[in-house]
Order: sequence, then structure tokens, then C-alpha cells
Amino acid sequence: MFSRRDFMKQGLLPVFAGSAVPTIFANGVAAAAADSPQATPNGRILVLVQLAGGNDGLNTLIPFQDGAYHDARPTLRQDTGVLTLNNQLGLHPNLKGLKASWDAGQLAIVQGVGYPHPNLSHFASMSIWETASVQGGIGDGWLGRYLNYLDQVGESPNHALEGVSAGSLVPPELRSKTPVTALQSLQTFRLQPVNEHGTQVDVENPVMKFYGAFKTAGPAPFGALLDTTLQEALQASNALRTTDASYQAKATYPARSPIASSLKLVAETIVSGLGVRVAHVTLGGFDNHSKEKPVHDKLLLDLDQALAAFMQDLAGHGYGDKVLVMTWSEFGRRVKENGSAGTDHGTAAPMFLLGAPVKGGLYGQQPSLSALDNGNLKFTTDFRSVYASVLQGYLNAPASELLGGNYEILPLLKA
Amino acid sequence: MNMDDATPSSSPATRSTPIWRRPVSRRVVLASGAAGAGAAALAVLWKGTDLSQILNRVRDLTHAYPGALSDPRVRAAHLLRRAGFGATAADVDRLAAMTSTMMTQSVLDYQKTSNATLEGKLPTLDLTSAKGPNAGAVQAWWLQRMVQTARPLEEKMTLFWHGLLTSGLDKSGAGQMYVQNALFRKMALANFDDLLKAVSKDPAMMVYLDTENNRKGKPNENYARELMELFTTGIGHYTEDDVRESARAFTGWTLKGGTQLRYTMQSVFNARYFDSGQKAFMGKTGNFTGDDIVEMLVPLRATAERLSTHLFTFFAYQNPEPEIVRHLADTFQQSHYNVGAVVREIFSMDAFYSAKAYRALVKSPAELTAQTLRATGADAKGFVASANAMAPMGQVLFYPPNVAGWPGGTSWINSSTLLNRINFANAAAQRAAGSSPARTVDQLTATLLDGNVTSTTRDGLHAFATAHPDDQAGLLFMAMATPEYQLN
Repeated sequence: MFSRRDFMKQGLLPVFAGSAVPTIFANGVAAAAADSPQATPNGRILVLVQLAGGNDGLNTLIPFQDGAYHDARPTLRQDTGVLTLNNQLGLHPNLKGLKASWDAGQLAIVQGVGYPHPNLSHFASMSIWETASVQGGIGDGWLGRYLNYLDQVGESPNHALEGVSAGSLVPPELRSKTPVTALQSLQTFRLQPVNEHGTQVDVENPVMKFYGAFKTAGPAPFGALLDTTLQEALQASNALRTTDASYQAKATYPARSPIASSLKLVAETIVSGLGVRVAHVTLGGFDNHSKEKPVHDKLLLDLDQALAAFMQDLAGHGYGDKVLVMTWSEFGRRVKENGSAGTDHGTAAPMFLLGAPVKGGLYGQQPSLSALDNGNLKFTTDFRSVYASVLQGYLNAPASELLGGNYEILPLLKA
Repeated sequence: MNMDDATPSSSPATRSTPIWRRPVSRRVVLASGAAGAGAAALAVLWKGTDLSQILNRVRDLTHAYPGALSDPRVRAAHLLRRAGFGATAADVDRLAAMTSTMMTQSVLDYQKTSNATLEGKLPTLDLTSAKGPNAGAVQAWWLQRMVQTARPLEEKMTLFWHGLLTSGLDKSGAGQMYVQNALFRKMALANFDDLLKAVSKDPAMMVYLDTENNRKGKPNENYARELMELFTTGIGHYTEDDVRESARAFTGWTLKGGTQLRYTMQSVFNARYFDSGQKAFMGKTGNFTGDDIVEMLVPLRATAERLSTHLFTFFAYQNPEPEIVRHLADTFQQSHYNVGAVVREIFSMDAFYSAKAYRALVKSPAELTAQTLRATGADAKGFVASANAMAPMGQVLFYPPNVAGWPGGTSWINSSTLLNRINFANAAAQRAAGSSPARTVDQLTATLLDGNVTSTTRDGLHAFATAHPDDQAGLLFMAMATPEYQLN
């Protein structure tokens, strides 16, 4: 009936002549009812937080006792206020919420995450992380492949909200053969009616017909892309319209914080009960080649406060044990700071996994600050090992198949 | 005209004929001294921003091409959408009466067209206060330029450079972005090496990619890396050592005055900060400057092919055939890296007017917004509101998502952006109530959609007009809510 999946599986190329015009309105509300989190086999939700630009891992998880750290960072080192995790390592002073989660056993930190032959280009390295392939490229994202898998085993809700991204673009991790949705606001996510002298004229039906006809008459792949995208949008917006009025945040999100707004939108979408499986938010600004400290301090503060509110909000709505948050960044920074009180592109960095599903603690090995590769850290844990651990240990998905290889499963998660 | 009869025949050109069916063979160009020993002489000829060298070589390469668009108005409207931001019915009529050669020339030869009317309408930006102009005011100012310029290609190329040689308000100041915007406009079709040398010293760029902080003994790799990865050769043509060494060559340029560097509009060379040591770059060693690095990067074939691909993708369609890239890269190298010469070749190619090119680009939010405002009209408030409305469509002027610019293409379209694009057209049509560019369905589709829509769309528009005879704004919106309108 709803042909986007069939169509996308063909790789965006052929257009099916004579395929039935989908009737998308009928199933939106029905799907909403059927996809409450309790009704699905595991109902587990993964929220990815992308720290775009290359987060300075050494000033996030800080080896405060290491003389080499102090030597390499004459102006950037954190001398005071480090939130100690043990006698070697501590969190940046602004990560107080994460420290509280650590104390509650709900924060797992994987140290020294990277991959062989690190690429120091933002975009090449992002693509590697997004596709979980050291070639990168434009194929499906690693979470997109998970969504494909859910579809294959019949666990997908019948609308485009199973994969949600806060913002105006669908991130490459979520590229898939199933529809996913970029969201900026649930309230504006709808086709506005025409206002005719104060009377609202609904235009969904005629506009849908325009796009339906253009699906085959228009040039490939645009005709079909426009038609299927409009159908997804209207289906998701109609499903949301039945729910969005009821959400009340159960936490106070920081004002004027884009990452807080993004996470609040994700919480609202999750709480709507329409069956979000994976969500993506981005905090940008980590490419701190110069005058890093004030910028990086502020970014970590924003991140920490937004995450604390998000976790509290979800717990207040009964989703506390159904959501896992994972951070990632395309690379860390150079060990030695540069001449402009910043850091150039580097390699390995820690990843954070947050929430009730994790077994708190430190995992992997902190890389040496003296045995470097061209000034950069040598990674100790492959990022695909973390992905595999999440796919297999949390999402109950076949990690080897989805990642195209066998990676060590880390005991990061409760059963 | 229905979709079926307007869609050009797709029978391909014969295999032995290049895609663009050049009446002047490459051999003739080479024989005229454009390669080998003659290249240096020609390089002098191409120096500067004088368009006459470009215009003298415009040829009609499109006649009798079996796959080409045949309707003169469709060809004119297609060119005006790609080379600019859409057109009025009068613009289309004017170009439709020309030969292809004249059309290309009229688009390229914009320096002869006065923009005084636009300049008279533009708001005055406050460039003298310490913090420079308000970012929203600069965004609205540029959008107004796109909508009201008499030189569409100049503005379109400015948008192209903004998306390739990126800087952004997340680091650079609004005044700096304004200055950079003026540089892109002035050098819109200039020689690429000249443009890159200017951009390397441009205050917005120096802040955005940290060259301001790149000093002798304290190199900062940011600009050097992106210059190679994104602006010239692309990845795979340089080493990490090339990044580190060329960063040293770009030392010495600093911003003048003030601790608030994002508000500083002037760059100066300070020999004290320049690393005058030997640098080993791409197999050569010397006391290189940043300009030297640019002069080594721009002649590389990888640069020629990459920029040619970017330009063709921006103007014609994605994934150009290798022979098209080869031809454009040859043009680039034989014209001393002249961007205008490459753009001229693109607009002269049959491929540009082929079925493959027609409606084969998704309108960027800038294009959609400017074209919509051209159709509906806008006042000062409308430009500010519309510049803001671009964010949920996925593009904020002067604020690219990262140094790689906007990914573009099909990534402009997802469920969220598509609803916002349609809703924007709705709001613009409401705002323009009563000033619709046309009153009948046929006039509207002719002006906005090449008169080329599916019969379903045509019937739907007629049905709306019949059911809502007084609602001009509603009908205008319905024409802009079509899938045809989403494409360029």
C-alpha cells in the first residue's frame, strides 16, 4: 500500500507504472495506536548526539594526573575543578550532570575510540562514522541499516517517525530504505491551509494529487522523491496532530540553547508514543582551532545541561529505562595545542553512553599521551565495536550483519 | 502544453559526437595557441575581469541537437532560472526572441547592465558602528539583491562562491560577511587563482578558518587543509605533511586593529609573523608564501576537474559525464583558470539545454525564496521575514552548516523542508494578495511553470479557480505548491 519502502529498495531508480495511489490518511491514527512503546517487542530507543567539528576528548575526559597532558596543553589544560572519576581521570568541570549520572551508575565511557588509518578530514571522517565503513561513501547509514532491518522483521511503524532528526536535514546515519523525518517543530509540521477571507480552505487533497501525477511524469529521481516525501510528511503530520497537544515537559530545559531545544523536540516526539526508534541531534561548534577554551567550556556546559533536562523529562514520562543516549564526534584533537590557543584535527576520543540501560563505568583503555602517531593519539577501541555493542546488546539486532564484520562486544549495557 | 509534448525527445546524439556537439573542435582551439608554448601568452590575455575575452568566444552550440529543449520560451526560462533567480514574463519574452548565442551573451555580459535601480532601493547597512550591521539586515539585503538585480548571473555566482569558499556567521562577523559577499560579486567570473589569493586574505575567511591566528612558530592548519580538501584539489591529492607545511606558508596575514576580530574589516601583512623558512610542499621546496601555494594548487588537473564539476553541477545537472568535465577542465586550464570561460562553455553546451538538464535540479531555498518573491513582490518587511523563513527550508544565508557548504541536490527535500517550502509559498502569496503576476491558470503556469505541467495539475488548478473565483492569492499559491515548482 505505502510504497516508499518498496520504491527505495530499488535504489531510487525505477518508478513503478500503475502502482496504486496510496491512501495514507486511514492508517495514520491506527498506526499511532498500534505503536505505543509497550506494543513493540523491545520498544527501545537510541538517541545519537553528534558533537560536530571534532570534540577535544582530552579536555572532556581529562587525564589530570598525566604530566604529558599538562605539558601539551600550556594554556588549554584544566587545572582546577575536574570532576574526578578515579585517581587518573576526571570529567570537565562543566559536566556536572554527567557526573551525577556516573555516580548513579548510568554513564558508560568508552576511552580512546577511533579506527585504523585515521582520516583528518571532517567530512571523510564523519562519513566513516556515519556509515560504519572505513570507505565512507553515500550508502545507507549504520542506523539506517538498523531501520531497514526493523522493516524486514516487521517491526516498523507505518509512518516516518521511527527515525527522527532535529533540524532541517536528515543526517547520513539515518539514510535508509525506510522513511525518516527531519523535524523542527511539531506545531509547524503540517501543510497550512489557504486562508480565504478568514475561511480556511484545506488543500491537502489537491496538492497530493499534483505530486502523485508528477511521480511518474516528472524526471527521475525527483518526481518520485517529491511524491513519496510529501506522503510521508502528511502521514507523519496527521499522526502527530492527534498527540502533540498533550505533551508537557517534566523538566526545565535551558533557554537559548539549540541543543536543549533539539533534545526537547526529540523528547516530545518520543512521548507522543508514535514509535520513535532512533533519533539524532547535533551540537556543532567543536572545531576549535583557536581560542578554544571559552568556546569548548560553553559547548560542554550546554551539552550537559540539555542532557540532564532530557533525561529527567523522559524519566518523568516513564521512558527512563527505554532510552539510551550515545555521543560521537568525527575525531578528537591534536594532543599538543597549537599556537593560537586551540587544537588542530586529531584522532581518538571518548564516547559517552548515558541512561538506565547502561552499566556505568570506564571501558577500553586510555591512550598513551607519549606514544603518539604524528602527534596524535593511537586509538584503543574501534568505534564499530561500540556500535556492535549497542546494536546487539541493546537493540537486539544482528550487529555483524549490519556492520559487515565482527567487532568485539563490550559489556556496556544491561541485558 | 502538456507534460508529454513538452518533454524533449530523449534520443541521444550519435556516439561519435561529443555531448555538446562542438562546431569548433578542440584541435582548432589548441592550434590557436591555447596550449603548450602559447599558454603563457594567452594567460596575459585572460588576466583581469574584462568579460570581452569571454564574450568573444560565445558560440551557438545548441542548434539541431536532437535531445534539446525546442520551445524558445522554455529555453529562455530554463536559462534564466539557472543563471539567475527566475524571470518575469517580459524577461522570458525578451530572451525567447534571441538566438542561443545572444541569450548566452546577454546573461554573461551583465557588466553592461546598470544596477542603479536596485542600488537605489536597497536599505543602507550600518558598516561604521563598532559591531557592524545586524546579521538579519545583511541577509535581507542579499535576498533583496537576488530578487531585484538586473544582473542575475552576478548574484547567482556570488551564491555559488558563498557555497564553495565558505565562511559563516557562527565565527565571522556580519560586516565581514558583507565584505566577503562584495568580493565574490566583484570577482564573480574572475580567474580562480586571483580569487583564491583574495579570499586567503579576506577577513571573514581569516576568522572562519583561523588564518588570523596562524603565525610563525605557531601554525594553525585549518585554512591550509580546507583550501586543498574543499576549495581546490579535493581529498587524495595531498598529504598530511602538505597540510602542515602549507599552513606555515599562509602565516603573516593578520587582521588590523581591535581585539574583537570578527568586527575587523581589514587585513594586513606583517612580516614579523611570517614563517620565512623553507617549506616542502608537493615535491617542491622553497620559502613559499600563501600566494605561492595557491599558484601551485590552481594549475593542477584535480583542481580544474573539481571546480568544473562544481560549476556544472550548480548550473546544469549532477554527475556530469567524464567528457563534459574533461572539456570544461581543458577550458579552465587554457583560459588561465578563468571561471567566466567555464561558465560560458556550460551555457553553450547542448547538454545544458538537454532533457537530462531540464528540471534536474532541486531549487535551493535561496532560489525558491528569491523566485517566489520575484513572482509575488515584497517590501522591506517581506525581505526580512523571507530571509528568516529560509532556515526551516534548510538554508540560512551567510550561515552554511559547515565549511563544506550546503550539500544541496536531493538533500534539500525531506518531509520537514518540503512542508516548509510549500507553506512559505502560501505565506508569500497571502502577503502579496491582489498582486498576483497573472490572473488565469494559463497565464500563471506560463509565467511560473513554463506552461508545462501534468494534466492532473492543470485540472486541479482550474478546479480551484472555479471553486474559489475571488481567491487570486490562493490560486497563485496552488501554482507554487506544485512539484514542478520545486525543481529548477
